[in-house]
Amino acid sequence: MKSLIKQKEFSIFAIIVLLCIVLSFVSPVFLTVGNFLDIMEGNVVMAILAIGMTLIIITSDIDVSVAAVTTAVAVTIGSLFGHLPNSWVSVLLIFLIAPLVGLIIGCVNGLLVSRIKIPAIVVTLGTLNIINGLVLYFTNGQYLNSSNLPAAFISFANYELLGIPILIYLLTVVAVLTWYILKHTLIGRSVLAIGGKSQSAVRVGIDEKKIKMFVFAYMGFLAGVAAIAQTAYTKAVDPNGMLGLEMMVIAAVVLGGTNIQGGRGTIQGTLLGVLLLAIIENGMILAHIDTFWQKVVTGAIIVFAISYDRISYKRQQAKLTKIEVEA
Amino acid sequence: MKLSKESLLGLIAVGTIILMSFIAPGFLSSNNIDNFLFQLPEFGLLALGMMVVIITGGIDLSITYTAALSGVGVALMLTNGQPILLAIVVGISFGLLCGAFNGFIVSKIGVSPILVTLGTMVLFEGIILAITKGQSISGFGETYNLIGNGYYMGLFPLSIIIFVFFIVLTAILLNKTNWGRSVYMLGNNEIATLFSGVKNSRVLMKVYLYAGLLAAISAIIMTSRYNSVKVDLGSSYMLQSVAAAVLGGTNIQGGYGKVMGTVYAVVIFQTISNGLNLLGVHRAIVDVFFGAVLILVLTVNFFSDKWKKNKETKAVA
Repeated sequence: MKSLIKQKEFSIFAIIVLLCIVLSFVSPVFLTVGNFLDIMEGNVVMAILAIGMTLIIITSDIDVSVAAVTTAVAVTIGSLFGHLPNSWVSVLLIFLIAPLVGLIIGCVNGLLVSRIKIPAIVVTLGTLNIINGLVLYFTNGQYLNSSNLPAAFISFANYELLGIPILIYLLTVVAVLTWYILKHTLIGRSVLAIGGKSQSAVRVGIDEKKIKMFVFAYMGFLAGVAAIAQTAYTKAVDPNGMLGLEMMVIAAVVLGGTNIQGGRGTIQGTLLGVLLLAIIENGMILAHIDTFWQKVVTGAIIVFAISYDRISYKRQQAKLTKIEVEA
Repeated sequence: MKLSKESLLGLIAVGTIILMSFIAPGFLSSNNIDNFLFQLPEFGLLALGMMVVIITGGIDLSITYTAALSGVGVALMLTNGQPILLAIVVGISFGLLCGAFNGFIVSKIGVSPILVTLGTMVLFEGIILAITKGQSISGFGETYNLIGNGYYMGLFPLSIIIFVFFIVLTAILLNKTNWGRSVYMLGNNEIATLFSGVKNSRVLMKVYLYAGLLAAISAIIMTSRYNSVKVDLGSSYMLQSVAAAVLGGTNIQGGYGKVMGTVYAVVIFQTISNGLNLLGVHRAIVDVFFGAVLILVLTVNFFSDKWKKNKETKAVA
């Protein structure tokens, strides 16, 4: 029990519970199953992206192009739908093509970071600009709505199993898969090792280039999956709909206890981070707070979270040196 | 004769100008030259601010929103009938405040600059949205608009003179003062700098304050030129200023960067963007171009470094 409380994830869980109690007084609608399912379904895209981002931040890199990649894949499948027949086969085909397109873009990022050794922030800022420019050029900002999507896809998007939307199942699959990779496979353990101390990791024989390549490729793959989720959730393709989402994704990961310096992070923590941001957003809407103030709150939370993370890290280091001196 | 990196870049800048005057129709028309000169300072000032931050090994992603926030400060004062000088002072202090906030978290708490400025970028954007409600504020009066649109002695745009002043100031600060030397040292080796008796956190604080100042000056020029301010004031300059600093030879890991290099890079970017515009290239493709140049320059740098190193090891053997 004590070790449970000591965990980083516990403090964020406690904040979520506290927030839920406060919000249930503010609005009677808040503490209903329907509202919670809405919150979850509305944040599937962010959660999928945050899961991928967790791996990247664990290796002490960052990817600011995720929202752009997702948009690019969404636009691609949007235009593909125009050529595909209206049947279940095309939905399946989309599930093959979208992750593949994302994977390819992710590989480009990974190649530039791992082989050419350009800092990840610069690479992804560059690809962000390139992708956004290309998307704007090819779509001209045109919006595709549900009438442009095949009926088979719409019925997939509306499908519910046991009263729970299909997208939540999709998120569960992604989360469990990534958790398994991070916890129980060699490559997942190597990701943590590289982030913890890259020199030591290289000395034990871990190929740093391969691992960096893997995390960026996997991020791209998940961006492809997120693109399907986004298209299914909004039943539309909006080239401008996700501008700036990458900041929220990074904020969620950091809030979830992943160390920005690398080496530490869990999938459950990230999911809690996403949930916290989602509840804050939902709460602000239910409490009728001006939408313009929501960004201020989000920004303040990000700044606070990263500062707090750094301060507690410093304290921990100070404690460690003290032990060394005493011994 | 061996050319320095910066002089080579200067020649490339001249080359692009000559190239554009041949292929882009109307590039040399007085109208377009005016346009060109009036657009240069706002971008150049932001790029200089970004360069100083990058020399310390950091990055300032919030620089354009710092500028936008200063612009809002100026706009609020002017539309409420305050004198121009007071408005400018308020605008600059907004910029300095943003810089101080970034500087405090980076230097005192020690969070990496990327994350701090990523957070403050959202925060500043939020504050601007909360103040302006997403609307634009406009109408600042004839006199104020002269800053961005007026001429000195009927020939030189005023804003260019402001830009030149800050080029000289930045060069002097970086090369002739203790602070400037410390900035380069800090970018090269933080720990060695600390052990040689430099107060790292003070140096860093001043770096972010200076970036905030330049952002505010740029904002004053932009607001005066557009006669209005909105949340996305200058937001397209964010990546462009990183790209310009990097193309100008500034080392993205810190420790190296020259004012003239950045200035030449700004001229190159502005020439190309202006020329492509005249050629009728889609605005979005110009963005793609900037992103591609950024990555391409760094890739070329990587291979030329590798090649140089290979040659050195061969020479030693």
